[in-house]
Amino acid sequence: MRRRTLSIVAVVGALLGGAVVIQGADLPLPGNHIGYEPVQPIAFSHPLHAGQLEIPCLYCHSAAERSRHAGLPSDAVCMNCHRAVGATLSAVQEEAERAKAARRQPLPVVSSEIAKLYRAQGLDDTGQPVPGARVTPIRWVRVHNLPDFAYFDHRSHVAVGVACETCHGPVDTMARVRQHADLTMGWCVNCHRRANATGLPGGRPARASTDCSTCHY
Amino acid sequence: MSDAVIRWTTLEERDVLRQGAAVSQPTVGATPASARDETPVDDGGDLRLSRRGFLAASGFTMAGALAACGRAPPVHSAPGAMAPEDVVAGRATWYATTCGGCAAGCGLIVRCRDGRPVKVEGNPRHPVSAGGVCAVGQATLLGLYDSRRLLRPVVDGRDATWKAVDERVRTDLERVRATGGAIRLVTGTVNGPSTSAAVAAFLAAFPTARHVSYDALSASAISDAHRRTHGVRVVPRVFLDRAETILGLDADFLGTWISPVEHTRGWRAGRTLGGAPPRLSHHVQVEAALTLTGSNADRRVRLDAGTEGAFAAHLAARLAKAAGLPAPATPDPLPVEAAAFDSVVAHLWATRGRSVVLCGTNDVDVQACIALANEALGAYGGILDVAAPSLQRTGDDGGFAAFVDELEAGTVSAVIFAGCNPVADAAGGARLTAALPRVAVRIGLAERHDETTAALTVVTPLPHAFEAWDDAEPVRGVVSFTQPLVEPFGEPRSLRACLVAWSGAAMSELDLVRATWRRDVLPRLPAGAAEASSWRTALRDGFVRVDVPRAPARPFDVAAAAAAAPRVRPPGDGWVLACVPSVAMLDGRHAQNPWLQELPDPITKQTWGNAVLLSEVSARRLRVADGDRVRVTGKDGVTATLPALIQPGLGDRTVVLVLGYGRAGTDRFAGVGPAWIEAKPTVVRGGTVGASATPFLRFERGAVVYGGSPVVVERAGGREDVARAQVYDRLDVPKNVAPHGGERRDPVHETTLAAFTKDRRAGHPHAAHSAADLWPAEHRTPGERWRMVVDLTACTGCSACVVSCQAENNIPVVGKDEVFRRRDLAWMRIDRYYADVPGATGEVEVVHQPMLCQHCENAPCETVCPVLATVHNSDGTNGQVYNRCVGTRYCANNCPYKVRRFNWFDYARHDRFADLVLNPDVTVRTRGVMEKCSMCVQRLHEARAEARRLGRPLADGEARTACQQSCPASAIVFGDANDPRSAVARLIAQDARHYRVLEELNVKPSVGYLTKVRNRPADGEGAERHG
Repeated sequence: MRRRTLSIVAVVGALLGGAVVIQGADLPLPGNHIGYEPVQPIAFSHPLHAGQLEIPCLYCHSAAERSRHAGLPSDAVCMNCHRAVGATLSAVQEEAERAKAARRQPLPVVSSEIAKLYRAQGLDDTGQPVPGARVTPIRWVRVHNLPDFAYFDHRSHVAVGVACETCHGPVDTMARVRQHADLTMGWCVNCHRRANATGLPGGRPARASTDCSTCHY
Repeated sequence: MSDAVIRWTTLEERDVLRQGAAVSQPTVGATPASARDETPVDDGGDLRLSRRGFLAASGFTMAGALAACGRAPPVHSAPGAMAPEDVVAGRATWYATTCGGCAAGCGLIVRCRDGRPVKVEGNPRHPVSAGGVCAVGQATLLGLYDSRRLLRPVVDGRDATWKAVDERVRTDLERVRATGGAIRLVTGTVNGPSTSAAVAAFLAAFPTARHVSYDALSASAISDAHRRTHGVRVVPRVFLDRAETILGLDADFLGTWISPVEHTRGWRAGRTLGGAPPRLSHHVQVEAALTLTGSNADRRVRLDAGTEGAFAAHLAARLAKAAGLPAPATPDPLPVEAAAFDSVVAHLWATRGRSVVLCGTNDVDVQACIALANEALGAYGGILDVAAPSLQRTGDDGGFAAFVDELEAGTVSAVIFAGCNPVADAAGGARLTAALPRVAVRIGLAERHDETTAALTVVTPLPHAFEAWDDAEPVRGVVSFTQPLVEPFGEPRSLRACLVAWSGAAMSELDLVRATWRRDVLPRLPAGAAEASSWRTALRDGFVRVDVPRAPARPFDVAAAAAAAPRVRPPGDGWVLACVPSVAMLDGRHAQNPWLQELPDPITKQTWGNAVLLSEVSARRLRVADGDRVRVTGKDGVTATLPALIQPGLGDRTVVLVLGYGRAGTDRFAGVGPAWIEAKPTVVRGGTVGASATPFLRFERGAVVYGGSPVVVERAGGREDVARAQVYDRLDVPKNVAPHGGERRDPVHETTLAAFTKDRRAGHPHAAHSAADLWPAEHRTPGERWRMVVDLTACTGCSACVVSCQAENNIPVVGKDEVFRRRDLAWMRIDRYYADVPGATGEVEVVHQPMLCQHCENAPCETVCPVLATVHNSDGTNGQVYNRCVGTRYCANNCPYKVRRFNWFDYARHDRFADLVLNPDVTVRTRGVMEKCSMCVQRLHEARAEARRLGRPLADGEARTACQQSCPASAIVFGDANDPRSAVARLIAQDARHYRVLEELNVKPSVGYLTKVRNRPADGEGAERHG
């Protein structure tokens, strides 16, 4: 009997101790994927596009305004620019100089990453369709994953003026996109409470619901 | 007062009530012994942990914990090479189209997510359905994702290419044409301009070809009778909204007859009690089976099957005499009580010009009598429209019977069946099976293999209505369009495209429909509308109205009508059979749809099968109880052996069989429901769900006879339990906790129009009292406060809301065995209550009450949940948090309305194809989780998010629940009660009929009901009861 009590105490103690350690060390709990930074099929650079070129987030992730999902741009959106832009300006200039030196027409310069986009579209480096090539959409790796029982609506947050970086962090500095915030329920609820207490950006009153059914249904 | 009414749901309950005892534990006669939950006795044992055991357990735990530490596999997102215009991930797109569930041609708006349809809704602007959808229409969605659909053509039992099929069929038909052999094209009702044009072109190309059209639920006699009386073979369109007195004779017009949604709309329009004076049409139903329509009638008069003709003759004679017209002979005695008959006639005659008789008996002479009665009442031109008739039933029984004779005589060389299954659903189907092998060329177009395709050599896939281009003209003057909502699965091809490919140059489906639009529809558009209408606007709206040439009306041929001599009643006092369709199955074409198979019949509450319905007296005569197997034997030795089910309200000679069951291929449902050790199959392998009543249909006197055939009924021995819903989920108080006299709580408030006109609060048993409240008013609703009101006077119990809810909220099908175990998962159920009619033994009155989570303000479920998995939301609704629920089921036990459902299993989601029907906006619940109506919270969020996005407040009626949207009777009103101008707030505040079920519990439900008012004349019998 004493042994049984002891073992129960030991197990409970171990669990409690573990909880204290996790809390104290600020370790993420299971299911919290903060810092997740998967390798993407194309080394797309947010610092270049969003940072240097200052393309607005919503240019590519346009669904965030209208849908619960922010959405990834279809490959055709990339091609809006990359039909013309195949490499960095310096690479193009280098080739132009080389061509000038060799007295020939400059060759199309396509960086190895943009070449992947062209291949996915079934195009060659000059932007011409490759006969017989199949169009295979790029399979990006999703960084921000919510569990299936949680529903998040981008549209509502964009509509009230929550900035993208509030949740996604400084994406314009991330060479590879990384999960910036916890995306746990406590983190969501804290922000909602804060918004209700302090109001929305611009001082408007917030109606950030903390009902369970706001996200779980 | 209405609290004197004894309302009951099962016969056992009634008997207990009549003895004056309170119901404690309902006896559920139909529950098999094995279905009772038997908890294995667990002595617990001593939880002693040895050192070795402790180490083993902790090691195992550690290993498990470590194993769970890995990151979940990466989730990939492929946004697509080129996103289609208007398709945004996560955002629904809505397309107007036309329902393919039956030929009624209701307008739909279908919600598509990520390129696939996920929910069917009604098109509010459609002239036929005006926003309603029936249960079948809702369920057609699941038919799209049916893994048993035919995807590719089959020739001689082997998959074939369309090229091979076309070559073979062309050669075959060419050979038949060269030899002058007869070609027969057999279809159901065809009313689409483009298909009709293709059929006409085909008939022109093959001079020996004829088009045979039949309806499994035939209205051929109505057309034939109108050919006699009006000179045109049409089914008149019915405008019930113009009617003040409606007599339904054997016509289930709210449930299954011709165009139920359209009729329900009209019927409902005549029942608006809000105005002054309140408008309530008087609806009398005279019928043999207890149909949905009969259950909603102000007064139902039962007669025995086979005596409808006698009734019609008497009715016509009486009304014709009153109108000074020649009257038909009445050789048979009046089959109902003279007082009831006189009262009906008096009502009809008093409101002539605004009264109508609808008759569903498929007998030309009966229908001629009815036409005469309607002519005498002045219904033509007002309520009945012959000039712009209904085209929803254009079949010709005579033509089909002649076709069967031809087949048997061996004079047909080629036959093409399209979208029909006559072997299973037509009178003479059995003869077809024998005769078909003698036909040289046998072609079938079908959505899936069935009884008819089994006898054919070439079988090609038809598209589902949601993947096809099509048009329809359900009523003359309205052309309704069907557009594809998803890339077709497999390689289906419509009848239209097939006929064109086999008789001329092949064209694409879209080109065919557009060509018809340009050639036949555009010129018919009314002046002024043609410029505004384009193909695109027509598709967007889903329909166009077109001009109807008004031919000079031929005078009503009184002599022809008066010469009608309806079939005399069957002699003797033997059993008489009535074959009736059910709301879910109709003619059986959707028998492979599990949603419809599990939908409880609105009256019998039976799921998964049919039964032999008998009156109580009949059951005593046969010495059978519910579930005893009974054999029905008809002419020529056709039999059906089915369990008996005692149905109140039937005639004592009448035996009712429900059509549409016993279909080949329904043994696919053997494994439906959870797979566990005690599971029992819903249907035996190789068997069918239910038994077919089709063999009892006969072709007589120019039409198919559904009722009135003499049969022999005998006990077959053995039992087969009937899986019925609503023998559980009861609202009474268990005897041991009820206060004295408080065991019975009437959930339904009911009154008569006479009483209601005097006192708008009539029907409420006592004024609602609000005593001191122990509950603090702690639920604040700063934004919306969602509330719902259900009008019991409007609700017909048609069950469209049940299937709509199932589709919207990903509610699984549980199978027959689980229904026995009371584990169905319907969030929305319709409680059906019977009440005796005093002084009329065997007659019953029926009330339908939709029951869903009442979203109580003082919710009893919330207080008992140990993990706070069910909590109150700030919009007044009660939320269920699946990820928090640990499945104690305390909440369900504490719910007075019995609306909570528990997931005993992970319900079968093995069919990956069928899973495409799942609504991506609603969590698919797992085992061990409680669930219940959420007031379609996902739809509320969607509406709110859209309003927020557009920067405007949410308008009343913008957020609609799934049940509300589909209701053909607009019986459900939903909205924000915090907005005093909203429809729901005004109803709650102003309508004296408003009450809440079990109000005395002070749980303060958010769902209210409006008293059921029956238009019972103050002087009529049965009125005293309600005082």
